[in-house]
Amino acid sequence: MKILVTAKRVPDPETTIKVNADGTGIEEAGIKWVVNPFDEIAIEEALRIKEAQGEAEVVIVSVGSADCQEQLRTGLAMGADRAILVSADNPDPTAVSRILEKIVEQESPDLVIMGKQAIDDDSNEVGQMLAQRLGWPQATFISELELAGGGGSATCVREIDGGLETLSFPLPAVITADLRLNEPRYASLPGIMKARKKPMEEIDASSLGIELGRSVTIVSVQPPPERAAGRVVESVDELIAALQGEAKVL
Amino acid sequence: MSDANINFFKADLRSMEFTLYEHLGAQELFEHEYYEHMSREDCDQVMQQTLRLCNEVLGPINSSGDRQGCTLKDGVVTTPDGYKEAWKQLWELGLPNFSVSLEAGGFQGPMAVLGMLSELQMGANISFTMYSGLTYGAMELIEHFGTDDDKARFIEGMTSGRYGGTMCLSEPHAGSDVGAITTTATHIDGNSYLIKGSKCWISGGDHDLAENIIHLLLARVEGAPEGTQGISLFIVPRDVINEDGSSGENNNVITASLEHKLGINSSATAVLNFGDDGDCVGYLCGSEENVGMKQMFKMMNGARLSVGLQGHSVAATAYLNALAYARDRKQGASVKAFKDPNAPRVSIIEHSDVRRMLLEMKSKIDGMRAIAGKMALHLDWVNVLRDKDPDQAAYHQGQVDLLTPIVKAYCSDQGFRVCETAIQVYGGAGYVKDNPVEQYLRDSKIFSIYEGTNHIQALDLVVRKLRGRKGQDLADFSGDLTDFVEANSQDPAIGAETQLLGEASERLQTAGAAIVGYMMEGKLDQLTLYATPFMQAMSHVAVCHLLLEAALVAEGARTQDFDQSQEEFDFYAGKVMSGKFYANFIMPEVFSLCRAICSADRSAIDIPDNGFCTQW
Repeated sequence: MKILVTAKRVPDPETTIKVNADGTGIEEAGIKWVVNPFDEIAIEEALRIKEAQGEAEVVIVSVGSADCQEQLRTGLAMGADRAILVSADNPDPTAVSRILEKIVEQESPDLVIMGKQAIDDDSNEVGQMLAQRLGWPQATFISELELAGGGGSATCVREIDGGLETLSFPLPAVITADLRLNEPRYASLPGIMKARKKPMEEIDASSLGIELGRSVTIVSVQPPPERAAGRVVESVDELIAALQGEAKVL
Repeated sequence: MSDANINFFKADLRSMEFTLYEHLGAQELFEHEYYEHMSREDCDQVMQQTLRLCNEVLGPINSSGDRQGCTLKDGVVTTPDGYKEAWKQLWELGLPNFSVSLEAGGFQGPMAVLGMLSELQMGANISFTMYSGLTYGAMELIEHFGTDDDKARFIEGMTSGRYGGTMCLSEPHAGSDVGAITTTATHIDGNSYLIKGSKCWISGGDHDLAENIIHLLLARVEGAPEGTQGISLFIVPRDVINEDGSSGENNNVITASLEHKLGINSSATAVLNFGDDGDCVGYLCGSEENVGMKQMFKMMNGARLSVGLQGHSVAATAYLNALAYARDRKQGASVKAFKDPNAPRVSIIEHSDVRRMLLEMKSKIDGMRAIAGKMALHLDWVNVLRDKDPDQAAYHQGQVDLLTPIVKAYCSDQGFRVCETAIQVYGGAGYVKDNPVEQYLRDSKIFSIYEGTNHIQALDLVVRKLRGRKGQDLADFSGDLTDFVEANSQDPAIGAETQLLGEASERLQTAGAAIVGYMMEGKLDQLTLYATPFMQAMSHVAVCHLLLEAALVAEGARTQDFDQSQEEFDFYAGKVMSGKFYANFIMPEVFSLCRAICSADRSAIDIPDNGFCTQW
């Protein structure tokens, strides 16, 4: 069995994000970058399948600048077998889904597992678009995954508004991981050292023969409004009046 | 108070990177054969994973472990909740083997990087790291001195977490005076001996983290010479190790009691009885009797560096906690608005005296990290150059020897003081158990006591190390310092401070000459009286040198890179200020210490015992 997983390079959730001077994006200097946490969950799930099955190959893909190597190395250190870095300059979700479609055609995996969304732009689009392009079944926001029929089909539990939904579908398929699917492992010291020797293929997106232009333009990026300072009220009555009159929550 | 496991641990990775790579240039190591199987990127990944382990696993069981402590029941020691799971995760990650040689199945990473990994783990949970740290130390002894048979029997278990390790030196009447030990070893056959005696203050002496404990124990073979010349080193497993490597029944090693301590409460400190009611079999480490002290001494540099790091690491998290509190806590108005009773309350970080305390802590932490890092890097260069350039290797080994007592004593003394200042920043809030700094203070006191008290370090420095390689080590140390002072006395950013360092260094040399004089004249009581002040003065000079060197690097980075973020610019400014502040506020203690040494004042020796107090 072959499983393709993704690893997007995103700012560390602990980093303080500042909007850049011309309001078109974020200030990137001095930021620490990590693997998108939802992608980490996807990688973990692929590794668990590999461990349960005994034999499977886990291929990890990242699309973006050459710096994405760092995130691919993390995935390899966790236990993925090899990596593919597709270099592309600031692609939008549509372009990424086109790129991944090509990679899937090259690799013919039995399963694609991705994070449900990336924590930087929260687009939540690529998994869905990729499944559509491939004409494969998709299951998004999954919190449980079980393979059956010797890896020929899958049953997923997905988190939906107000409850859980269980889906069964044949493979190949695209699934996207939600937070509760698993808890990703640490990259161990032996894993980190082994990762150096694992193959990392580099592909230039422009060689894939696809449209890479952005279909979405970012007009402006703004920080969330700063929270005003609180104030101490003298009495319960004053508090209720403020909640009714100013905050309008009662 | 809630028993919820809160993680108070805080780390400053940016500062650690700065010291390791920008200041000390550790990345150069990876270009040499001994370390070329690794890269900085690998090390960065290991740092990230270690930080995660610290925040998610080790940190959250630090204060709960302190409160719960270890218990001894029916001869079995139980560690606090969560320690077993943490032990398992630590070894799965492979962290304790970071600097273990490739030959012994480790990763042979640089000691300088290991120092930073240790800083994280020790800061998160100092007590927990005792168990793995001592296992590493004991394993190293076997790796260096053991026979092939010893290695085959013990090393795998000690590099996989199956076995814990200890160092059994002290006895009830033999602490600093190791030569006075009375534990005996009676030869049976081959390298097997019957061990009989009692050992105390044994950290990790027994616990439930590993399936077996391997004690490295000093004992006296019957008929051996008196004193330290007649001491041999033995490997004594708690449980008999079967032919297939599994652990069998108890080897008559009994945990008699656990100490009730001021701090490091989740590290089990045991009194152990060997061979009390039956045969306790130990194995001579290596094939030679009566060389136990020599073997121990060889390993002491690493162990003493480790204790220095302990002092530094706990202080570093104490400082970062105090800093967070100072930013958050509002009290009083700005001094500039002292006439206005309605002026807004400000965070206490805005008050000058709080800033003074914070910068004092910061500069000491920057200094401790730099000097411990420097010493570790010297160790790494010894590894790199050992066979390639014996002269340079000897230079680096000499600096390791010279810096060992300084790193151990300086970092343990100053680390404790930083924790004390951290409590002062918190005020009353720091004195209560809701906040972590009181535990940091309690945990830190032991560092100046164990692994050779700080006075033992001072004696090691003045009696042995100053004369290392016929004085060449000291000459090299002073030469590096003089070169720095000459090159930078006119520097626009740190020239004045460099000149001050130059003056201090001259005073230190005068004091050093006085010390040598006392030695030559056989005035041993005065030699030992001035040893500690001399070591303190020399430490200040060494640390100030490194901090000014770091300030130069930072000043360069700050003024040459025009694309850096405001945060980076401020970071470098902080490093410059840290060096200047240390030179002006802290380092000048050198002048009073040296004055005392040169005064030849004998009051402390001549005062009659009754002069201390007549009420005995």
